[in-house]
Amino acid sequence: MRRIRGISAIAFAGIAALTLSACQQGSANRDDDATDGGPVTLQFQSLSDQPTTQAAIKEIVDAWNAENDDVQVEIIQAGWDGTYDKLITQFTGGTAPDIIHFEASSIASFAADGYLADLTDLIDPALKSDISEGIWDSVTHDGQIIAYPSTLQSYMAFANVDLLEEAGIEVPQDGTLTWDQLRDMAKKATKDGQYGLGWGLGSPTSTIMSLALGFDGGFFEGEGEDVTIDVGDPELAVVDRIHEMAYTDKSVDPTSLTQSGSDVLASFYGGKIAMTVQGSFQATNIANDAPDGFDWVALPPIEGSAGAFQSANPQTYSVNIDSEHVEESADFLNFFMNSENLAKIAYADALIPSSGGARAEVETLAADNPAWTQVLASGDGLVGPPFLKVSKYTEWKDTVATPAFQQFLADQISRDELAKQLTDGWADVAG
Amino acid sequence: MNARRPWYGTGLMYVALAAYLIFLGFPLLWLLSASFKSTRELNSLAVNLIPQNWDFSNYTAALERQNLITAAGNSIMVALVTMVITVLLSMPMAYALARLKGRLRAAGTVWILVSQVFPTILIIIPLFLVLRSLQLNDTLFGLILVYVTFTMPFTLWMLQGYVAAIPPELEEAAEMDGAGRFTILRTVILPLLAPGLVATAMFTFVSAWNEFFLALVLLQSPELYTLPIALRSFLGAEGQTQLGPLAAGAILATIPSLIIFGILQKKLTGGMLAGAVKG
Repeated sequence: MRRIRGISAIAFAGIAALTLSACQQGSANRDDDATDGGPVTLQFQSLSDQPTTQAAIKEIVDAWNAENDDVQVEIIQAGWDGTYDKLITQFTGGTAPDIIHFEASSIASFAADGYLADLTDLIDPALKSDISEGIWDSVTHDGQIIAYPSTLQSYMAFANVDLLEEAGIEVPQDGTLTWDQLRDMAKKATKDGQYGLGWGLGSPTSTIMSLALGFDGGFFEGEGEDVTIDVGDPELAVVDRIHEMAYTDKSVDPTSLTQSGSDVLASFYGGKIAMTVQGSFQATNIANDAPDGFDWVALPPIEGSAGAFQSANPQTYSVNIDSEHVEESADFLNFFMNSENLAKIAYADALIPSSGGARAEVETLAADNPAWTQVLASGDGLVGPPFLKVSKYTEWKDTVATPAFQQFLADQISRDELAKQLTDGWADVAG
Repeated sequence: MNARRPWYGTGLMYVALAAYLIFLGFPLLWLLSASFKSTRELNSLAVNLIPQNWDFSNYTAALERQNLITAAGNSIMVALVTMVITVLLSMPMAYALARLKGRLRAAGTVWILVSQVFPTILIIIPLFLVLRSLQLNDTLFGLILVYVTFTMPFTLWMLQGYVAAIPPELEEAAEMDGAGRFTILRTVILPLLAPGLVATAMFTFVSAWNEFFLALVLLQSPELYTLPIALRSFLGAEGQTQLGPLAAGAILATIPSLIIFGILQKKLTGGMLAGAVKG
């Protein structure tokens, strides 16, 4: 009995010690600085998940901290998953960090709610002129620039050279790749047990809406709450073509239409599909993961009737409007976004940098991977899409567009029914 | 009874049991296999449970890259303290709910049921504001308090069922022998309630161990992250998943949970059988 009491006492003491140590607040919970004349500490919430990118960001921040004793930057590493919910809670609770890493489509609602600082007059003029208007447009709300656009992705076609050559197809490497060319190549490369194209469209909305810009298919007109939807031939041009390739030509692997882009890569490496459309960042993954001797290329940017346009939905760096150090945060971001730094981050993440200077740097860094030439070329067609300005876009995308596109791509509903669901669904969401 | 059961009945039972075990265990085996495969092998079309080339780099990557050990320490602390506090608080409360009569009991029962209705997402912002005003945001103790609050209704409901199953006559007999309420609780109820307490403890531990969303929102400092947050950071933007390190991290994350289960399971069965053969 005495032994049991002894064990209980030790256990109780242990739990009490654990409880007490659990009371300590984390480092991200700061006391206000600078009021006592000390250096300003900026909290920088970074979502970068690749070890190489994390290392690049740390290197940049360390370089800044070494040069700026009075403004120190502290990285708070977070992940992409659940970030929207975390940020909305932080903003509401007044504990959001000074500098916020996210993406253009997701910060639109934060901008609408007035949580992000206007950076229009704080951005380095040289940087401003080095990034295209189309990309700046993706981070402009009500005439205010609310973020620095950093890196972007496009959708690219990658091809197994051996399979295309076996099918007697000359692999295009210059200019652009039209949809008719892509369809023709996929048809020719399809034979028993092998499809011409594999396309991971399990979550199809972003891809379809991005590529629809190549046909001038914008879906939405207006900004904020005052928005109308138009689902006509230009908007449905991409999904129509994919549907025809899958069910008329039978040149698209139907299984791939239900998978993620990464899932389809196994079939690509295994020679079950001759081409695959993927996010441009996969150029680096394919280079690293493809089997030895696998001969592959990135095809030129995909061009619709209006041009090789796709939506620019860049990763962004914003400043919390309630930060006591908005100007210092912008100063840091001007440094963070210089060509050399941005190129390091873009190269590590295998994404397209937003500025011309950084793209030139990446070309040098990626000289040993020829796919990067096409990846960077596709960046020229990235423009701010109308949906980025639509307050209820995310809700419409998740509850209406994605299930409707999925049903159409599974050949369960007609084209007219798809257009009706997209239009009526918007009316319901917009109220 | 067993003598009357035909041989094929027993055989079918074992087949069903084996099928169920495979159904439950195969995903874990696949996870274990994936944790030893290289990215190249994971991206191939080959379906093989035994890796072609054993690759241990996923484990080093998991341990080095996402502060997995710190996160495991945080998770163990949070889950253990949540478990102990919940069990300590639930026991007398469940006894009161099961034994006491009147309006208070009815109100308590209704409140337990009502508290289960609200989805977490609905109350996360008010909860965050309350914790901030108590200076408990971004602390593990704040998270523990929230976990205790969230698991308590269910554990109370569970435990009061166990208490209700204990015959009141046992307490009356002890009372006639001169035992007070506390002595009865300690010497009569507690030993008989042991299986219920162990089941409650296991449920609480696992709930706190696996919880993601509240930890994600309430903790802001990387050094306080729990295991589910650390593991989720292997999932990147655009659906990019570092599958090998994620599988290795997930395997490592199950080890403490398995140890706790191993310890508590013995107590669970031991408690259930205690006194069963006495007249």
